[in-house]
Amino acid sequence: MAEPADSNPTVTSPPAVVHPPVGNPYLAGVLAWLIPGLGHVYVRRRRRGLAFFVLVVAAIWIGCALQGNLAHPMANQPISALATLGTIGMGIPYFLLRSVFGYAGDLVAPSYEYGSAFLVTAGLMNWLLVLDAWDISRGKKE
Amino acid sequence: MSHFFLMVVYALIVSLFFMLLWRRERKERIKLFLQLFLGMVGGGLLVAYLMYPFPPGPPAPIP
Repeated sequence: MAEPADSNPTVTSPPAVVHPPVGNPYLAGVLAWLIPGLGHVYVRRRRRGLAFFVLVVAAIWIGCALQGNLAHPMANQPISALATLGTIGMGIPYFLLRSVFGYAGDLVAPSYEYGSAFLVTAGLMNWLLVLDAWDISRGKKE
Repeated sequence: MSHFFLMVVYALIVSLFFMLLWRRERKERIKLFLQLFLGMVGGGLLVAYLMYPFPPGPPAPIP
């Protein structure tokens, strides 16, 4: 009598795909945060890194063109700290915009809210790129 | 620029980003891109349609 297939002890689940680690994960994360896409370039995903750079910088550029808010902590407004944490994820561009170009956005511009959404999204996307570069560097992702 | 145009540009950037981040195969990327892009634009239009009968409130005060 034939045994049911699932009782065969030789049948096992396929092994998890392992990718070789690339570089230092800490350095990959820091580079990814400083300049969007640079972490991916560091872990030898150059084309993907370039595409991420273009997308994040496009979001920043559109956000600034729409006069969105470049979030910063404000007294008695705890949500502004969260917005700052998200926006600061864009790395060097945040500090360049705030300190070098003196960018602050225009609260009364009609497109202010849209621009703010683009800017905080750029920061949040770059935080995800930090995690992705970290995972690739440790060999947990392709 | 119209609100709709800005919404489409936003959906385009976010969809492209997650397509590249989450998928590696070309066909899967295209599928995810379409799901995200159409979901965001379609969802935005649906919410706008549902909100249409409600009158706009007074403008928010400028701090």
